[in-house]
Amino acid sequence: MGLFDAIGIAGSGLTAERIRMDVTAENLANADTTRAANGQPYQRQEVVLAQAGASSFGGALSGALQQAGGAQPAGGVAVAGIVSDATPDQQVYDPGSPEANAQGYVKMPNISTVTEMTDLISESQSYQSDVTAMQTAKSMFGSTLGLLK
Amino acid sequence: MALVDSTQQLLEAAMRGSWQRNTALTNNIANADTPGYRPQEVAFESALQSAVSSEESPSQLEFQTVTQPIEAGPNGTAVSVDQESAKLAENALDYQAVTEVVGARNSILRSAMGLNA
Repeated sequence: MGLFDAIGIAGSGLTAERIRMDVTAENLANADTTRAANGQPYQRQEVVLAQAGASSFGGALSGALQQAGGAQPAGGVAVAGIVSDATPDQQVYDPGSPEANAQGYVKMPNISTVTEMTDLISESQSYQSDVTAMQTAKSMFGSTLGLLK
Repeated sequence: MALVDSTQQLLEAAMRGSWQRNTALTNNIANADTPGYRPQEVAFESALQSAVSSEESPSQLEFQTVTQPIEAGPNGTAVSVDQESAKLAENALDYQAVTEVVGARNSILRSAMGLNA
């Protein structure tokens, strides 16, 4: 257990939540994109979070160092990957669109703006919780330093 | 009476335990959206209590970070950010209270040694 573990852990939470916000923003920006890189409608992206620590190098190292003490390493959170949402594309009837098929339907991305907006709110609140946790660790460290006065 | 008596050791152990709990709670908040994550807790008070009643030296105490067997809620995670934030605030106040006591005891020792006027 290191002195600044808590600040590092809160930092990992900040990074993870920021990446989630980036991906949500990308989803929102591409809510109407009918031609992504592969020529198909844009597919919704989703961030997969995993507990960091045991699998990372730093976590394995500190786990090995602390084996005698029996304490388990706490390594915060990590982004395990960004995956495509497999929900099928929406079919929108718009015969005037250049993308319309013979029946007049256009394939639109599988994105609900409402879902993305609520995700964004929850991500920004998680971000703020991590900021609060970091400030708490800072103030605790400050009171320890106060002992030297 | 030794300069570093058992009360001082106890306060130091409480600071360590509180610091370790802060790390565990911060980890819980960072993993609030991680699927399958179970919140961690450091029950250092009970360990301190048993050290006091068995007259064991508190400076040798190692506190265990335990994973709590809480089932995931409807949103897929077992962490309640509100509860964890409340515990975090409470723990920080606890820590500061103990630190204040350590500081007061240090200043008594300092005046006994004539280090401050």
